[in-house]
Amino acid sequence: MSNRRPGNTNRIRGPQSALTDFLAANNISAQQIRDDYNRRRQQAQQQAGADGENAQPAAAQEDEEEAADDVPAPPPTTTNTRKRKRKDVEDEAIAKVKKGKEADKKKQADKKKQKGKKKPKGSDDDSDDEYDDDLARDMYKKAPPAPGQLENCEVCSKRFTVTPYTKTGPEGGLVCTPCGKELAAEAGPSKPKAKKAAGRPRRRKEESNKMDNLAILGAKTLQQMCIEKVADHHQDVEEFGDLPQTVLERLGEIFTKKRIMDPRTMKLFLRPDHDSIAIHDCAKLETEDYHTIFAVSPHVEKVVLRNTCQFKDENMEYMIEKGTKITYLQLYAANLVSDAMWHKLFQQQGHKLETLKLQWLDASFEDEAVEEMVTNCPNLQRLKLKLCRRIGAAAIDSISRLKKLEHLSLCISQDVPCERLVNLIGNVGKNLRTLSLEHFPDANDTLLEAIHAECRNLTKFRLTENDYCTDAGFAALFTDWANPPLLFADFSSTRDIDNNNPEGPEQAVGLADQGLAALMQHSGAKLGHLDIASCRHISHAAFTSVFDGQKQYPALESINLSFCGNVDTVVVAGILKSCPALKKVIAFGCFNIEDVVVPRGVVLIGVPKARDFMIEQVGMEWVGLDAALGAMVEAVGAA
Amino acid sequence: MAQQQTDYVTLVSSDGFEFKLQRSAATISGAIKRMLDPISNFTEAQTNTCTFENIKYDSLHPLSHHAAFMESSVDSPRSGVVLEKVCEYLYYNEKHKNNKDVPDMDIPPELCLELLMAADFLDGEFAVGYLGFGC
Repeated sequence: MSNRRPGNTNRIRGPQSALTDFLAANNISAQQIRDDYNRRRQQAQQQAGADGENAQPAAAQEDEEEAADDVPAPPPTTTNTRKRKRKDVEDEAIAKVKKGKEADKKKQADKKKQKGKKKPKGSDDDSDDEYDDDLARDMYKKAPPAPGQLENCEVCSKRFTVTPYTKTGPEGGLVCTPCGKELAAEAGPSKPKAKKAAGRPRRRKEESNKMDNLAILGAKTLQQMCIEKVADHHQDVEEFGDLPQTVLERLGEIFTKKRIMDPRTMKLFLRPDHDSIAIHDCAKLETEDYHTIFAVSPHVEKVVLRNTCQFKDENMEYMIEKGTKITYLQLYAANLVSDAMWHKLFQQQGHKLETLKLQWLDASFEDEAVEEMVTNCPNLQRLKLKLCRRIGAAAIDSISRLKKLEHLSLCISQDVPCERLVNLIGNVGKNLRTLSLEHFPDANDTLLEAIHAECRNLTKFRLTENDYCTDAGFAALFTDWANPPLLFADFSSTRDIDNNNPEGPEQAVGLADQGLAALMQHSGAKLGHLDIASCRHISHAAFTSVFDGQKQYPALESINLSFCGNVDTVVVAGILKSCPALKKVIAFGCFNIEDVVVPRGVVLIGVPKARDFMIEQVGMEWVGLDAALGAMVEAVGAA
Repeated sequence: MAQQQTDYVTLVSSDGFEFKLQRSAATISGAIKRMLDPISNFTEAQTNTCTFENIKYDSLHPLSHHAAFMESSVDSPRSGVVLEKVCEYLYYNEKHKNNKDVPDMDIPPELCLELLMAADFLDGEFAVGYLGFGC
């Protein structure tokens, strides 16, 4: 036996697995077993029909495969040159393999005893040869020829090369690629694949729905489901029939969200009798599509076109000519419209306009256009100018002459001195119901004083991205303010920015302790939405005294506490207790919140550790809250 | 009035299919709830049966409750199919009332526009956002 493979010992070898080493030590060569096996297979193929001896080659094959797992596989070589009798070789191989296997088993069992670790198959001592034979037969049935081998197709009997992608036929054999494709087509889409897809993406979808405030508890509405279904099958829709306009608008929103609002689907939404058109993303629409809109629906009063990249002068001209009833105009990113055309719009349509919302205008729309607008649009009630890069302080002065203004939203990139804003508030502040001032870094306490003195009708107030207004200024604004309670308050990112002094100056800048207390004192009864993201000078004590569980804020539904470093579990518990109507808490970057027990109907976003509890755990939930409140009282007592 | 507030109510489609539903599930729909409201004294409330007729637009009675319902199925015998799906939804909604992360109900694509119309009608009012039918 030792001379069976002369020269083997002198070979230079690469690294080998333990099993190969072991087999080599017992004078068993995987190479040889494989060769024998291949030869036997070929012979068996030549004399088909000899099923009776399946078990024996199978046993050999099983071990051959075990070995092949560990040995880098050389290309199969034909060993027809050997003149040995087949039976002899077989017996020899099987005897050897079985012996080796038993030794192997023993070794593994020993190992198992030593390490107490679970081993893969073969480690079970109770199994005997009978079991092995069964197993072997099993494996023989299933085991496909290794990739690269030739096989006869089960269906068409053609010879073909086996690859890892080769399919199994109905009888358990292999089929060639063309037959495999046919079989797959007959079987239709495979089910296991669909099952697999239901795992992670679904969880992602749930998170997404949570963020969208969708279906926190219970089923989606039938409308919602139908609308989503329609959007899924948008290619098949020929017309929407007589769907009510409200439903159509919702459909339009979902179409936009799914990015399927293109020239074809857009036309589904056009109806001559409609008085509004709202396309929230026009990125896929071409110039001629805008013509279509106003040609089909000339009676529109409300026009919402966002991301109108291709909206050109000619479209504007056509709109001015056709859409004579427009009172509400919202155009975002209409950068191909020239200044002259803006002037023309205001001159010809201005007196009808009641609402104008423009955003993302970089190329045109200068201060003069704003002046033209103010001169020609005396009836403007709602004005929103955001991210229009070419307008500055002069535009603010123009806007102060709009006497009917009720809703004003501004976000201007150029520097605007605070006096201009004070002047603006002095002129239009009295009627304002909405005031949104984003990114006015030069605004200071004098603006807050002006608002305190002038505004009497504000319900929505936003002042963000400012590091000039002080806490005392905010406190003064809300203290004894003759304005009724706010419904919406957003003071996010009002804080001191100084990397060297993260705590801020002694006299706090931005909405901080006094400001928050005064705001909640003034507006707490009606306030529905509070955004104090990044107001990082609000102390823990201020939070706990404002949201102490005793004071109630019955209307507060959503609150954004992101990046308020002092917020912790106790504060959140206090908020839950103080705000019975609460639906949504956003708390990104609040790392002190841990293991909050979120009660039913509330969504907490941004805290990775928080868990939603179900309705069944109402009891638990209140125990949790009480415990949290207890902890809070202690914390306050200690402070 | 004789048989008020039975546990089950009957919904009848225009092509004659009858669906018997638990009242609690059926009244998820705002429109059905109003129809069956005993205070309203509609025939529906007295007989505990709602019939959803197909009425053509030109022969609309201004006071008719069922006017807008599924006009698109005037010529097709599909109102029974749509109503069946509606009933399925009503039970689906009731079943998942307090569940989180509810799987979507299976809606055949060819039915969804008609179903959307039915949903809009049955709820009576369309709430923007996720409210609306059944929430």
